[in-house]
Amino acid sequence: MKARVIAAAVAVGALSLAGCGSSSPSGSAAAKSCTTTIGMEGPLTGPVASLGQEQLHFAELAVANDNKANHTKISLVQGDTQLNPADATTVTKEFVSNSKMVAVVGPAGSQEVEAVGPLFARAGMAFISGSATDPSLTTSGKNPTFFRTVSNDNVQGPQDAHYIINTLKPKALMIVDDEESYSTDLVSIMIPIFKAAGIKVDHESVSQSVTDFSSLVAKITPAETVVVLPWQIAANAQQFGRDMAQEHKKAVIFGTDGLYSPGTFEIAGSYVSSFGPDIHTIPADASLVAQAQAKYGSFGTFGPPVYAATHVVDEAIAAVCKGGHAPTRANVLAAIKKTNESTSILGKPISFTAHGDPKNGQFFLFKINSKGTYNNIPY
Amino acid sequence: MSFFLQELVNGVTTGALYALIALGFSMVYGVLKLLNFAHGDLYMVGGYIGFFIIRWFGGAAKLFIPVPLLVTIMFVAAAVVVGGLGVAMERFAYRPLRNAPRIAPLITAIGISFFLENAALLLFGAQYRVYNTPDFISYSSGIQIGSVSIDSVQIMVLVMGLFIMIGLQQLINRTKLGKQMRAVAADREAAEMFGINVNFTIAAVFFLGSALAGVAGVMAGLLFNTVYNTIGFLAGLKAFTAAVVGGIGSIPGAMLGGLMIGIAESFITGYISSIYVDLIVFGILIVVMLVRPTGLLGRAQLQKV
Repeated sequence: MKARVIAAAVAVGALSLAGCGSSSPSGSAAAKSCTTTIGMEGPLTGPVASLGQEQLHFAELAVANDNKANHTKISLVQGDTQLNPADATTVTKEFVSNSKMVAVVGPAGSQEVEAVGPLFARAGMAFISGSATDPSLTTSGKNPTFFRTVSNDNVQGPQDAHYIINTLKPKALMIVDDEESYSTDLVSIMIPIFKAAGIKVDHESVSQSVTDFSSLVAKITPAETVVVLPWQIAANAQQFGRDMAQEHKKAVIFGTDGLYSPGTFEIAGSYVSSFGPDIHTIPADASLVAQAQAKYGSFGTFGPPVYAATHVVDEAIAAVCKGGHAPTRANVLAAIKKTNESTSILGKPISFTAHGDPKNGQFFLFKINSKGTYNNIPY
Repeated sequence: MSFFLQELVNGVTTGALYALIALGFSMVYGVLKLLNFAHGDLYMVGGYIGFFIIRWFGGAAKLFIPVPLLVTIMFVAAAVVVGGLGVAMERFAYRPLRNAPRIAPLITAIGISFFLENAALLLFGAQYRVYNTPDFISYSSGIQIGSVSIDSVQIMVLVMGLFIMIGLQQLINRTKLGKQMRAVAADREAAEMFGINVNFTIAAVFFLGSALAGVAGVMAGLLFNTVYNTIGFLAGLKAFTAAVVGGIGSIPGAMLGGLMIGIAESFITGYISSIYVDLIVFGILIVVMLVRPTGLLGRAQLQKV
């Protein structure tokens, strides 16, 4: 009896393994129904869950819309990385061991992409981030299956620094990183440019978890007419601005990406540069904006690039199916490389360089007026 | 000089918050020898209660009740609800483990911490909730001494913090309940033999300690405007450090430790750099532990063998 149970268990195990090994058990049927699974990695809980949830909502929206338009049956599996490379690694291991999964959207942070890139490379699986901007991710050669729908810091850092130097003309400034690699990378790109322009720089650092900035604000001198905050949490910048008002400091805040949050960060006269456009102002996106607002409420600039990333994956899968093949990791990866969308939710075409960066990378600059409205201004 | 005073005011205000949270940590440790790592999350719950009360009464910009009444309701509700939550935590999670090895309640405390953080995420969402305090308490309503600004919320936090600390000290030293708490802290079994209701006393300690964390959460919301589901982690860690520096189990020690850490953070930011704040603050903790393992005001306990 015992031997029979063991034999049965071995047989079931062998059958399961055999199932795992076959990437397309019924190729033509799968191609016809175009049924497959993609993953979505993002900080769905933890300190930046607000950004991760927005990304998840837009990924879900893209899958729903694309399934309808392309008659595909793509399922989205979500994985919570908490913006932490260790968690991202665990989620990625689960995803690559899921034989039904052909591609992944995310992760959000550059530090996470760095950690999981080799895992995806080994699995031959494409992954597209809508927010990881560290330049080295596409130049190091460690992430051959990595793509992104946003431009990298080598575009944003110098562009922001030169705007500050030429337009705001400070003699001294304070720049505060938030102790995350996104922020410290941007700071390390900007500081040498400021110093080369003869600007005195006070470099400070404060954790994302901190909400009391009064001591730091007290340190802003009258000569420091600009405070640069390359942060991910808009509510913190709003509090920083309020502490400045309370201590009668007049410096102008210049923030990046995460600070784009109408209704949360609304310190009048501040600037925010963003990797994503405000799609509320793109006429072609009007129905999508209405759909997203009806389903999820207000949103910022973190969701749309993830929608674009998910759409790229969905279209690649649809193209594979139209070619009469069942979607696999290899053919979806090949199709993503060939992406050439004439327009996108981001208001521009999407295609990738050989390294996975978007061609014709672009950042956007906004100035906040006294009513808290963000106005797109030329860089 | 004005810069020094501004940093001092900022440091004392933050320190008062740390002290209030540290008091709860210290009280619970005093009676149960339990490091309640969920304590910081009670502070988070207090912050959310304050936020939703502002919303229930019309929102920061459109309040339909007077501000003093609103603030009173916020503090009372946070103290009662969070105090009750602390009692429930003790009753259902810690009491069954009272005689278990010490690691068991410690792990339970960490589990409760994660539970509260994720429950808040599910109930209140991931977004940062903003009090918008300046919409109903103007910055200009405070005191201006030269270039030093002390707004009315800072004044309220300092005055309330002082009264709460003095009141707690009086409660512990001069009331019957305080005497019971000290007796249970000294020797639980002996206290029981003398007819003290140990379960009630421990529940009272949890209520008071948790209520203080709830009040601190509302204070932090009014001061720093923001509340989110993981806000209690760092605050709890800083308060724990304050309690250890002051001498864990000691009420005056928790106050001293909280104020010391708040002021140290402020001056390190102002005079050295914010980059080194945590490095130096936790360095201070290590030095204090090396020089005085029981903390600044802690007393070494005699071990009977």
